[in-house]
Amino acid sequence: MKRLLLALFCLLSFSVYANEPTPTQEEATDKEAFSPGEMILHHIGDAHEWHFATLGDENEHGTHFTIPLPVIAYRPSQGLSVFSSSQLAEGKTYQGLKLEHEHLVSEDGSKVYDFSITKNVASLILSAVLLLLVFTAVARGYAKRGSGAPKGIQSFFEPIIVFVRDEVAKKSIGPKYERYMPYLLTVFFFIWFNNLLGLLPGGANLTGNIAVTLTLAVLTLLITLFSSNKNYWHHIFATPGVPKPLLPIMIPVEIIGIFVKPFSLMVRLFANITAGHIVILSFISLIFIFRNIGVAPVTLAFGLFINMLELLVAILQAYIFTLLTAMYIGGAVEEHHDADYQIGGGDGPEQAHAHAH
Amino acid sequence: MSTPASSPSPRPGSDGNSGRLRAVARYSGIGAQMLATIGLSTWAGYWLDGHFHTKTPWFTLGLMLLGLFAALYNVIRSVTREP
Repeated sequence: MKRLLLALFCLLSFSVYANEPTPTQEEATDKEAFSPGEMILHHIGDAHEWHFATLGDENEHGTHFTIPLPVIAYRPSQGLSVFSSSQLAEGKTYQGLKLEHEHLVSEDGSKVYDFSITKNVASLILSAVLLLLVFTAVARGYAKRGSGAPKGIQSFFEPIIVFVRDEVAKKSIGPKYERYMPYLLTVFFFIWFNNLLGLLPGGANLTGNIAVTLTLAVLTLLITLFSSNKNYWHHIFATPGVPKPLLPIMIPVEIIGIFVKPFSLMVRLFANITAGHIVILSFISLIFIFRNIGVAPVTLAFGLFINMLELLVAILQAYIFTLLTAMYIGGAVEEHHDADYQIGGGDGPEQAHAHAH
Repeated sequence: MSTPASSPSPRPGSDGNSGRLRAVARYSGIGAQMLATIGLSTWAGYWLDGHFHTKTPWFTLGLMLLGLFAALYNVIRSVTREP
């Protein structure tokens, strides 16, 4: 079981590029046919309204169950306009604005800055409220009981918080771990909660949105850079053990390394969550593609399996993001780089060693 | 189904499951970083070639090789460093 989980872990922690959404051919030719590509892209993308379900025919007069969200648009010529997204439903135009493939555009083609509370933003606010409620309750427990035995919701989260502290922060960052605990815990629970919220029926694909993962990765990059000590920069601009003539090559290589680390964090979280959603939706779409009730038990079983797997992936990705963030911070606040002399040492000029110490 | 917590063998200190999980996360991170390094530098070279309309794609070639070198260098450095 452990081995199996490990093998699964290796597979899942890798970005799944093979599942990139590709629009099907039917989409272009046959309007009546069910197009899974379009449905899946609609589900994983952002929207100006929160759509839950449609009863009846989609194109004719079906009943849509949606929550309209506020549209906030700023146009340099006309200023700010705020209205409900139901005004724009089904391609309608309102105040010279319309939606084109979920992009807010103005009719005369002038520039529009879209600050709308979209589905993802609404989901983000919802999860922020949820996180605040849960963790103020946990914090109240500590204020009341001190170091005594935890109770209620506090006892559920205590092992997880202790795990992040002992296994992630202390082991990766070392003695200075305490400063980074707020960020590490926030990022862990933010990703975990939002992964789980995304799995709920009707949930938004927030952690599978590249803008959200970009923000998280940029925060990690900034914290790493601002907490870096002189050893870190010395290592980048005068790598110990590297001969001086090689430095023009080594400096770009090291600088690439700074930016690639958060980049891989960004892509990993985005690709894993989005791919998971696409796989589940693909299995569900098979029913509508085959139009055969015999397929339903199989696809439902597979869909359920992947859904359970996604519950594991949800916490795994939160853990990996937090752990790698902690490792990058740990690399920036490290005092000694003794182990580095093992590689490329020996041949290097002696004064580089002396200087580094 | 046996959960990791109920495994019969006594846990050797705090290192065990979490130590292994940590190692897997770490090395998969190194792998992803290698992929991202090569991918990003190749893309940057491709973009530069398109931008400057070069006849021979020197930027693609050069940056791809640099990315390859950087990826390998970073992998070697990461695995030789004590965790």
